[in-house]
Amino acid sequence: MSTRKFINRLAIGGICTAVALVASGCGAGGPAATSGSAGTNTVNVLVEAGGHAELTGVAEQCKKEAGVDVNFVELPYDGMFNRLSSEFSSGNVSFDVAALDSVWLPSFKDAVQPIDELFTDEAKKDIFPALVKEANVDGHFIGMPAWTNAEIILYRKDLFEDAKNKADFKARYGYDLAAPTTWKQYQDISAFFTKDGMFGTDVKGGVETEWLAHVLQAGSPMVLDANNKVVIDNAAHKEALDFYTSLVKDAPSGAAQVDWAAAQNLFNQGKTAMTRFWAHAYRQIPKDSPVAGKVGAAPMIAGSAGIGGVPGPWYLTVPKATKNADAAKKFVKCAYDYNDKGIESNLGLAARISAFEKYQDMPGYESFKPLIETLNGKATATRPATEKWQQIVDTVLVPMLQKAVAGGDSATLLADAKKQIEDLLK
Amino acid sequence: MSTAERTTYDGGTRHKAAPAPSAQTGTVQPRKRRGVNREGLEAGRRGTRTLLWILLAAAMVLYGFPFLYLLFTSFKTPIDTIAVPPTILPREWTLENYANALGRNGVPASFINSIQTAVISTLLSLVLAVPAAYGITRYKTLSGRIFIMAALVTRMVPPVAIGIPLASMMASMGLADTPIALSIAHTTISLPLSIWLMSSFFEAVPKDLEEAATVDGCSRLGALWRVVIPVVSGGVAVTAIFAFLASWNEFLFALLMTAIRSQTTPVVIANFQTQFGLDWGSMTALAAVYSIPVILLTLLLQRKIVAGMTLGAVKG
Repeated sequence: MSTRKFINRLAIGGICTAVALVASGCGAGGPAATSGSAGTNTVNVLVEAGGHAELTGVAEQCKKEAGVDVNFVELPYDGMFNRLSSEFSSGNVSFDVAALDSVWLPSFKDAVQPIDELFTDEAKKDIFPALVKEANVDGHFIGMPAWTNAEIILYRKDLFEDAKNKADFKARYGYDLAAPTTWKQYQDISAFFTKDGMFGTDVKGGVETEWLAHVLQAGSPMVLDANNKVVIDNAAHKEALDFYTSLVKDAPSGAAQVDWAAAQNLFNQGKTAMTRFWAHAYRQIPKDSPVAGKVGAAPMIAGSAGIGGVPGPWYLTVPKATKNADAAKKFVKCAYDYNDKGIESNLGLAARISAFEKYQDMPGYESFKPLIETLNGKATATRPATEKWQQIVDTVLVPMLQKAVAGGDSATLLADAKKQIEDLLK
Repeated sequence: MSTAERTTYDGGTRHKAAPAPSAQTGTVQPRKRRGVNREGLEAGRRGTRTLLWILLAAAMVLYGFPFLYLLFTSFKTPIDTIAVPPTILPREWTLENYANALGRNGVPASFINSIQTAVISTLLSLVLAVPAAYGITRYKTLSGRIFIMAALVTRMVPPVAIGIPLASMMASMGLADTPIALSIAHTTISLPLSIWLMSSFFEAVPKDLEEAATVDGCSRLGALWRVVIPVVSGGVAVTAIFAFLASWNEFLFALLMTAIRSQTTPVVIANFQTQFGLDWGSMTALAAVYSIPVILLTLLLQRKIVAGMTLGAVKG
């Protein structure tokens, strides 16, 4: 058969296929993704790709126990906000439940319905206090935490237990080498391990959460106070920023560009002896990593205000526009009832204290005790509840941190940031 | 090589060049200067050719390296994919990433959706662009010129600005989460440039051809179908490939308008980057597999594409 004939046949075949598909008007992925009809027991759940696995076990259990079938609509994190904005603003949603990042709750508070009935006294006791507070917007609970996370300290147990390192460290600093419990110790250990192509820690200029945790530990609310007044130029913010930049000398170069992925890679490659990182990373160290099986976990370190971390929860919400609110709420209840199912997923997280406690003494879950301690920390708090938060982060906080880790003057940078944030909030 | 020994080519037969006799002395004078020039010319050509080859190699490396890096990464082990500093070749070759990527829920369906959407969008673009471009180039009216400029202006609007309203419109028409809706959206991207491309191809076809066809009894549409389109078939192939690729690789509209049943592969590839980590191996494996159909299609239509590219060159 000549090429011409082949191409012609291919084109004719393509046209016939297309016509057939147009006629059928269907896609290959399964049932239509429109919000279910009232009274049906099938719900569409919109979830970020990383969180899908977290809810798979819940969905299976929910089908068994409550008879609710679940279709997941999986989207990448970077596009999810746009998609949610688009559907909520049109009033025509393709999902019955949406898993929302905590920073999006204030933006979509008017598009989701209250689920107060699910927040029983018993439930409120079993959810970390900061999350209970964050889920309540304008007097109503609008999101059920599905899983949460917080930064803890991950360190190289093998290096910390090495006899020579222990002796050298004691000789140099006068106390035993162990997982740090004060920021002074963290600085000393970072300096100690910065040698022979290795670094004591990382400094992340590309993300803001870690610096904000230091702010909480120093005793100030993050960026905005309870009255939405910008307090980014107060003493606690400066202290936190100065401490943050003091670690640059013991961190890999290019701190301004280091974000979560880069820091995780550096640690998993054995280039850093310690990292402050989200707790889920403990269970995600690749098996062929040089540090696999050699990592220890410790709670976030306390500052003058106590242990403080910034939780990273995701909330299950029910849109006002769904036609299937009953089944949607049944699924949200399932997600609370069978919350521990998420722990067995790749991500390995939950939201209920009892779920974490159930696993905390099992091998492989050593990060849970430090995580619980951090989430229960006296200074732990969620991000300010403002619709502009993401904008503040992207346009003010991260650029400011990048300048700070590159050697900028902290007081000047914080003063500039205050002005920019005030302009954004006007 | 001396001038006397220099060789020439004559109809493929290699022989010694006979030196020309001098008019004054009758002796044979070597044409030194001319020989030197020719040698210099040859050396210059060789130098230019070498330089061009180097530039070509550099351009190939520049354009090909990202794809090769993606391909090599798809064969790396998890720890190798995140090596600091990165390595080009895998330390250990593995097919695990392909198994993970292709075994993931929704991947085969997303491939079918991508093909479906790209084929429908390509057909829509051609069906609309060919008559539009033909009308504009043949009738040369003011409204035609305004139309073609206006078509280009639509390309200047950022897709995100029309993506959200478009998604709402599709939902209100009951087309939410269907390949048809996405194809229509993709046609808004490819149609303007398809019209421009086809216009330039139609411009290259002499009017005499159509007139001859009409003299032979063809209607204008008949002349278009039987005479003009076969002449510009290379251009149609180029336009079709352009429209197909525009849809095949499109991400934003797919993100905004698809969910369970019509999600295309670019969205699934992006799903390997989550808030909690990036699965480089699986992501690159799926991206490599996804690029195979377009590479095959381009190779298959290569001759048509070259013909289409040179169509305008013979205009006149």
